[in-house]
Amino acid sequence: MTWWSVIRFLHVLGAALWVGGQLAVSLILLPLARRLLDAERRAAVLSAVGRRFGLFTVTAFLPLQLVTGVAMAAHKGVTWTSLAQPGYGRILAAKLLLFCAVMLTAGLHGWASGTGRPAAARALATAALVGSLGVVLLATALPGT
Amino acid sequence: MGPVTVTIGKKGDTEPPPPRASWHLRANAIVVAWIALAIAAAVSPGVLPAPRWLVIHVFLLGAVTTAIVIWSEHFAAALLRVGAPERRWSITRLATLNAATVAVLYGVAVGPWPVAAAGAAAVVGVVVWHATVLAGMLKRALPGPFGHVIGWYLAAAGALAVGGALGGLLAAHVGNGPMYERLHAAHAETNLFGWVALTVLGTLFTLWPTVLRARLSPLTRRCSRLALRLAVAGLGLMLPSLLLGLRWVAVAGLAVYLAAAAVALTPLAETLRRRRPHTGAAWTLGAGVAWFGIALITDLVLVAIRTADDLPAALEPLLPLVLAGFAAQVLLGSLMHLLPAVLGGGPARFKQNAALLERGWPYRLAAANLGVPLLSLPVPEPLGLLGWALVLAPAVAFVALAVTALLLARHPQGRVSPAPLGVVVGCLLTAAAVAVAMSGGAGSARLDVVPGAQRTVEVTLAAMRVRPAVVNAPSGARLTLRVTNADAQRHDLRLSTGDRTPMLAPGETAVLKLAPLAGPVEGACTVAGHKAAGMTMRIVPAPAAASAESSYAGHSQHMGHAGMDLSGTAGTGQPSIARPEATALDPGAPMSAGWTPYDATLKPAAGGKEHRVEIRVKETDLEVAPGVRRRMWTFDGSVPGPTLRGRVGDVFVVTFVNDGTIGHGIDFHAGAVAPDGPMRTIDPGQRLTYRFRADRAGAWLYHCSTMPMSLHIANGMYGAVVIDPPDLPTVDREFVLVQGELYLGRPDQDDLGSRILEGRPDGWMFNGTAAGYDHAPLTAEAGERVRIWVVAGGPGTGTAFHVVGVPFDTVYKEGAYLLKRGDPGGAQVLDLAPAQGGFAELVFPEPGHYPFVDHTMPRAEAGAHGLFAVSAP
Repeated sequence: MTWWSVIRFLHVLGAALWVGGQLAVSLILLPLARRLLDAERRAAVLSAVGRRFGLFTVTAFLPLQLVTGVAMAAHKGVTWTSLAQPGYGRILAAKLLLFCAVMLTAGLHGWASGTGRPAAARALATAALVGSLGVVLLATALPGT
Repeated sequence: MGPVTVTIGKKGDTEPPPPRASWHLRANAIVVAWIALAIAAAVSPGVLPAPRWLVIHVFLLGAVTTAIVIWSEHFAAALLRVGAPERRWSITRLATLNAATVAVLYGVAVGPWPVAAAGAAAVVGVVVWHATVLAGMLKRALPGPFGHVIGWYLAAAGALAVGGALGGLLAAHVGNGPMYERLHAAHAETNLFGWVALTVLGTLFTLWPTVLRARLSPLTRRCSRLALRLAVAGLGLMLPSLLLGLRWVAVAGLAVYLAAAAVALTPLAETLRRRRPHTGAAWTLGAGVAWFGIALITDLVLVAIRTADDLPAALEPLLPLVLAGFAAQVLLGSLMHLLPAVLGGGPARFKQNAALLERGWPYRLAAANLGVPLLSLPVPEPLGLLGWALVLAPAVAFVALAVTALLLARHPQGRVSPAPLGVVVGCLLTAAAVAVAMSGGAGSARLDVVPGAQRTVEVTLAAMRVRPAVVNAPSGARLTLRVTNADAQRHDLRLSTGDRTPMLAPGETAVLKLAPLAGPVEGACTVAGHKAAGMTMRIVPAPAAASAESSYAGHSQHMGHAGMDLSGTAGTGQPSIARPEATALDPGAPMSAGWTPYDATLKPAAGGKEHRVEIRVKETDLEVAPGVRRRMWTFDGSVPGPTLRGRVGDVFVVTFVNDGTIGHGIDFHAGAVAPDGPMRTIDPGQRLTYRFRADRAGAWLYHCSTMPMSLHIANGMYGAVVIDPPDLPTVDREFVLVQGELYLGRPDQDDLGSRILEGRPDGWMFNGTAAGYDHAPLTAEAGERVRIWVVAGGPGTGTAFHVVGVPFDTVYKEGAYLLKRGDPGGAQVLDLAPAQGGFAELVFPEPGHYPFVDHTMPRAEAGAHGLFAVSAP
């Protein structure tokens, strides 16, 4: 148990909150909202949830993940060259790329739901959710230190 | 007689899709998914186990059988004009069928055989249930012009009941040698020409005119009745004669069946004369039927010229004809015609879907029908590959079109529903990322550097190995080595160029920038003894690398042909070969994914005085050291064989079956019998019953009794019999460890015998894997009393069994206690000569990792090593 364990704990906690939050919203909140609320209130509630989640993402989640992630990478001696090499580096690189794609998709989701494109927003939200599960998969595939 | 129209849920644009269409939609999506899986299985040979078997069964049992159950029920309801059977039971049948199919595929490919046998039984059960439903519908229906079709479906189901049961027997390894071959032949012929072909023929009577948009031939009913009788008679004659090996009766049965097919196809030909096919569906169906005829005649010829015992091998070229030519084309042709109706959405949408599914059909048709003969004829390798490409490409195209149509189906405006689209996009992103992540050989022992400017190579030092051990780089490459010590002790790396790292503490990293590569570079750790233990590496410049590559590739190909794989990347599908030298074991390397250790836990003796066991000789590919697979001769598929346990006076009745390819015998040290009869060598396919009473306690060896025994034992044919001494106290945990020597190479390799005679094993194993329990430690809790039974399998060496960190307080060796609990003394080693056995007891004082070793240290370092992971109570 070192300070690095704490950093890793924060990194994993952030991921759990973000991915778990998305899962909870899609698997529990959305079906309930569809069943219990009329169209107007549903829209209001869901857009409020979306805004709050977006705010959390930008102010807490992204900074936390970037700081802890970069720190751990530096500690492990990851270099730009080593990111391209098979094994640890390449898995990490794939994870980072997928994470960027997921962030992009999530951002587009916010834009689509803000500009009244419900179908596109739903597709993008699902894609972001599945992609973030993929990020978790790749994170677990990273060889332990 | 009017034309037959099959209408499924064609409704106006404004109405929501009716439930029937949605049910059919989902059901057919399963069929399309199975076709996609079959394609995936076909293009990934070598990755999945039993690829050819898997392709055949994913396609025929998954796609074709599911389609038959869905559509024969639908046609029966439509033709008899009775209501469809209750939906939830149809769904139950379909779900059970699919679960059973998965069980069969899993059971045969990877799992234990009872899973496969249970799956086969469930498949048969579902089809019998399905037939009962169809018969009920026939009984309820008013007499009509199409009742004869149901007879075909019932006969087909009967055939599957028999063929599926035979498949279950095959999965359960019933029958050896010739009997197995006959079962196999009967299974294949009954399912293909009974279940699949009878259903197809019955359906074509009405489907073929519908597809051609022609009137039904007036000959239909009469021909159908006559053909069905002939077909059933033919199959009825063929099946028992194949089982009994009566070749000419089987030929007669096939001839009768051929006549039946000719009669059944007569009305179809008559329809064809009146109306030419004009759609992709019609042409594809027609091509499928044509291949059916060709396959049938080929089959007749093959059965006539081959004996029943080598029939399955002889029927190989028939498979592409039946699978790709007949079954696949009939299935795809039918779906091309039926799916647009199922997809619903009104006449405009129907036309759109039909056009979508038939897109480019002449090319698809041409490709598939060019591919089939390439697959079945003995053509050179590249043409065979071309055949696969030609057959699979149209199937891929169909799956893509069908998936598009299915995705579009829910939205009459032609919009794809957002959630599935999102899932697809997310999965594709993830799959792409995983593909990037997995590319290149992670942690492999060899690295190929492509030509280019600079390159950093990650080098790790751990477990007495340098990884990668071989780096192939082009001459002139400027390499930078990032050397990390990932071990628990200090190492360094010194290269023949003079470059060297400082002595690295655990976790430390050093960087070596090398001069442009001019010649081979050798490297090693300079700590005393580490180089000899295997801590070496080599950097090989390009031309030399190329020749090393080709010689090693030839080597491994040769071994692969004999069913053995020495490469460290066995089963991972990576092209690069990881092991630099054929005789070096790397105990620290990871075990391959999917490896499971031999279960060392020893269960208490079963109750009763008599124990009945069956032990089969099997030739099995096992992982004998980390990343090293080798074909072993085994008792029941594992090394050591199953551990038998009983009490003094118990009787063991062992049925010994030789499923191997050469003669074997068995010798149980635990019993007293005249060796003449029970220890005789039996040939492949034979069985013998070996009965002995274990009158004396001890840890006993059993082994193959065929000469040369050293070879048979070295190849894995040994196991343990544990007979408890009277009043043996119970303990918290009991383990059994059988130590054996490891010789790399094929079981029949030329130099193996001499290496055994000279006593030069490549390693030592506990329970069949060198250092296996380093990777899958045995578990216990602090304070628990643990008893470890040890048997020395040999063939040439015994053991000095020792657990690091804890003295033994009880030692029992060869029928007597050397030390008893409560004695003031302790023991450090349980020493056993080859074939001796005993046990030792200890109590782990505190949590931690306690290695167990053969304290003959060279053996411990060459694999006779494992770990106890002791946790807090």
